[in-house]
Amino acid sequence: MARPKSGQELPVMNTAAGGTAAARQPDGSNVFLTTRLEHVLDSARANSLWPFPFGTACCAIEFMSVVMSHYDLSRFGAEVVRFSPRQSDLLIVAGTVTDKMAPVMVRIYEQMAEPKYVISMGACACTGGFYRAYHVVQGIDEFIPVDIYVPGCPPTPEALLTGVVSLQEMIRRGETHYQRMAAAAKAGGVHGDA
Amino acid sequence: MKSADVVNVDPNGQTFLQRVYLVEIVKGLWVTLRHFVGNLFGRSYTVTVPWPEVKREYSDRLRGKHILLTRDDGSPRCVACYMCETACPADCIHIEAEEDPTAAVEWEKRPKVFTIDLLRCVFCGFCVDACPKEAIVMSREHEMAFSSRDQAVVGLAELLQKQPVATLDLGYRPYYGESKRLIALPIPMKSSTS
Amino acid sequence: MATREALLETIRSLFPDGSGVAEDAGCDVLTVRSDRTALPHLAQRLKNDPSLDFDLLADVCGVDYPDRSERFEVVYHLASLTHGHRLRIRVPLREDDATLPSLIGVWKSADWFEREAFDMFGIIFDGHPNLRRILCHPSFRGHALRKDYDPGQRWLLREGEQYEPAWARDVREDDDHFETQILNLGPSHPATHGTLRVIARLDGEIITQAEVEIGYLHRCFEKMAESHTWNQVIPYTDRLNYCSPMINGVGYALAVERLLGVTAPPRAETIRLILSELSRIMDHIVCIGANLNDLGAMTPFLYMYEAREEIYSVLEACAGGRLTISYVRIGGLANDVPAGFEDAVRYLIGKVTRVVDDMERLITKNRIFRDRTEGIGVLSAVDAVNWGWTGPCLRASGVGYDVRKAHPYLGYETYDFQVPVATGGDTLARYLVRVEEIRQSLRLVDQGLARLAPGPIISDDHRVALPAKDKVYTEMESLIWHFKLIMDGMKVPAGEVYGFTEGANGELGFYIVSDGGGKPYRIKVRPPCFAIFQAYPEMLQGRMIADSVAILGSLNIIAGELDR
Repeated sequence: MARPKSGQELPVMNTAAGGTAAARQPDGSNVFLTTRLEHVLDSARANSLWPFPFGTACCAIEFMSVVMSHYDLSRFGAEVVRFSPRQSDLLIVAGTVTDKMAPVMVRIYEQMAEPKYVISMGACACTGGFYRAYHVVQGIDEFIPVDIYVPGCPPTPEALLTGVVSLQEMIRRGETHYQRMAAAAKAGGVHGDA
Repeated sequence: MKSADVVNVDPNGQTFLQRVYLVEIVKGLWVTLRHFVGNLFGRSYTVTVPWPEVKREYSDRLRGKHILLTRDDGSPRCVACYMCETACPADCIHIEAEEDPTAAVEWEKRPKVFTIDLLRCVFCGFCVDACPKEAIVMSREHEMAFSSRDQAVVGLAELLQKQPVATLDLGYRPYYGESKRLIALPIPMKSSTS
Repeated sequence: MATREALLETIRSLFPDGSGVAEDAGCDVLTVRSDRTALPHLAQRLKNDPSLDFDLLADVCGVDYPDRSERFEVVYHLASLTHGHRLRIRVPLREDDATLPSLIGVWKSADWFEREAFDMFGIIFDGHPNLRRILCHPSFRGHALRKDYDPGQRWLLREGEQYEPAWARDVREDDDHFETQILNLGPSHPATHGTLRVIARLDGEIITQAEVEIGYLHRCFEKMAESHTWNQVIPYTDRLNYCSPMINGVGYALAVERLLGVTAPPRAETIRLILSELSRIMDHIVCIGANLNDLGAMTPFLYMYEAREEIYSVLEACAGGRLTISYVRIGGLANDVPAGFEDAVRYLIGKVTRVVDDMERLITKNRIFRDRTEGIGVLSAVDAVNWGWTGPCLRASGVGYDVRKAHPYLGYETYDFQVPVATGGDTLARYLVRVEEIRQSLRLVDQGLARLAPGPIISDDHRVALPAKDKVYTEMESLIWHFKLIMDGMKVPAGEVYGFTEGANGELGFYIVSDGGGKPYRIKVRPPCFAIFQAYPEMLQGRMIADSVAILGSLNIIAGELDR
């Protein structure tokens, strides 16, 4: 089971004021200014993800399999599947996003309250899949930032569960897009320049 | 259509007892209580597979991540004939050929670059059908999650399997030989190889 | 059913001066060529003349022939449900003068099909009340299925450029001087199963005006098919009606096999039938389950989903994939079924029976369910046929039309099964028809298993089917066939065919035009739910907003098939 490799996609932080050096952990891995409270909060957030299934196509059917009895998503804390962006924090884009649907997806992403995470499920959501076509978005990361890409067409329910577990680990390590932006904002704010 | 081919499914009117609804409540509760009590003593209605502690065993022919097989001397069987690249509907395979210095009579080329974009791949198996050398087959590994699109482009190093073929966990391939496992129904909640 | 010659004579007699129609001989179905001035009269007579009685307009599509002087061709497919005959009408048009009269006054079914032809080709239909783009977004420029349109050319739709109907913008008051409200349902909504959008004007709870917008999942199947070989289109067909993937693949393969003149071996036909019926069961389970979920009954869906998962296990064992199986090949199937297939399918028959029985005990006589579905969303038989409905929704309105009985394929005429018909036309009737269809499909599966005999699984014609792998590894001739099939694709003789099968939702048609090459020239999919969904705004008039959800669930609109 492949896990996302950590520590490689960290943004180049502003070290002009030497802010990050002070936060580097002894093992050299964590360069964010996370406090113990943040750590506990992240652990809580990881264990109670509330998904928003943005299901458009065939992957939505496999997502239905994931929330049904055989591969119960609620065993991972993600029981409350809400179709309201204000009440969810994990956007699972399951299925092809077309150019007509893209503004809808962006609007829903912007309406979600932070912290929010995005899983791109299936080939069509990740890259457009085999629809190199005039109406298909070639990967939702053209519009919104994505934390986890799950390949497959459609991914088996076990693959989506792998994605959710990997996302939980990313949250605990502080590597998701939201956490990086929040830490960058905090680091920039503390030391006065962006 | 002939009348013998047709069955009329018009509903009967509701009887008084059905309209009063109390009897229906009891009948409905009987069904759900049967499931509940059956699960309480003996788990006869439970179907949840507790992934990841227990994994459902994939079928013999699952179309998972690709594997490039090697000959006995360890060189890739692939002769860079470009058939898989042509057969792929998603155009996710990219091959560059070079002359093979150890060439024998049966082949002249070998792949210098062989990448598959796993996020474009639709896991249809056409590459396996197209290969004339049984060089590319699919394994039963389908649980992948990536945190960036570049991580999903796998090359020769990750695809080439140098182990003996009999030890690999193969899925979709040209020959299956004797079937090792029958279709397991109902889906077992304990893996046979746990 | 009249013979082709008799039919042609009757049609010719509609034009005593001999002009107006000319026959195109040698096609799979009677084909006449007409010009646009004769078209309205022809259409009226075809529908109203009792001996012709073409009451179902199955499909309207455009085809682009850039090297002809008359570049576009609009093709109509008509069917008579009473007599059983079918007709194709061709109307050629020049590029600089691509207009023709709309047939929406004759068949209401022409509504969305003509809008799609306008969207894809730029053909103008005079007299159409609402000729706007239907599948592509409003900021799209150009006409996508023309041969000179680059398949990868995208246009961005920005926030604020989305479609808003004009009637939704004005403020209206009802009789009590309360302002009426505009409600937008979808495209991301728990009750819209898929990406559908309904805009409704509400007077309190009652819907006074409604409009539907589709195209949110337009994945350009038809354009992709033009740039892939015949076998490479099969994964694309899986994703049309993704709840019943085998049926789409079988329908496509049967149409291409008609053009080629090959038939799949009997074992392949039987397995195709068994898996098609299992797919039909899967689709009905999702439709009924999702419909009940919207009404508040969440338990039956959870119970029935276990059967779906087990059908997935069987499909995964046969083909390698659960949902998008790509099991069909032109000429047969990709692989033979594995050992244990028969026992697994027999187990499935028992399991599906048990879960459907459980669900019926909970639901069918339930007063709450009856009150919410009886008399809701009624469409009369005449209206339904006029709108182009087929499948379980049409059979629930009282018209007993099933392609498996009317124009059998895969050997359906030799199987013993019945087709459920109801007369209510409401949501309850559609539910009952689907439940009974599940039971009849189980009978078909049972009979299919009994007929399974050993044999080859794909045609041995090597212009069509890949040779067996052991021959490819050892024999030069097989290797050459293999190479040519992969590199060039199989060559299908030039011609056209309209192959139609009974999908889970109704008549699924594939109109395929081949120019003799290795890639299709034009594939038009006739999706059953495209015709069904056009009638939805009319069905919503005067109903409450809660009923709209109940009706939508019973129509089984699958966006992958609707938008392609």
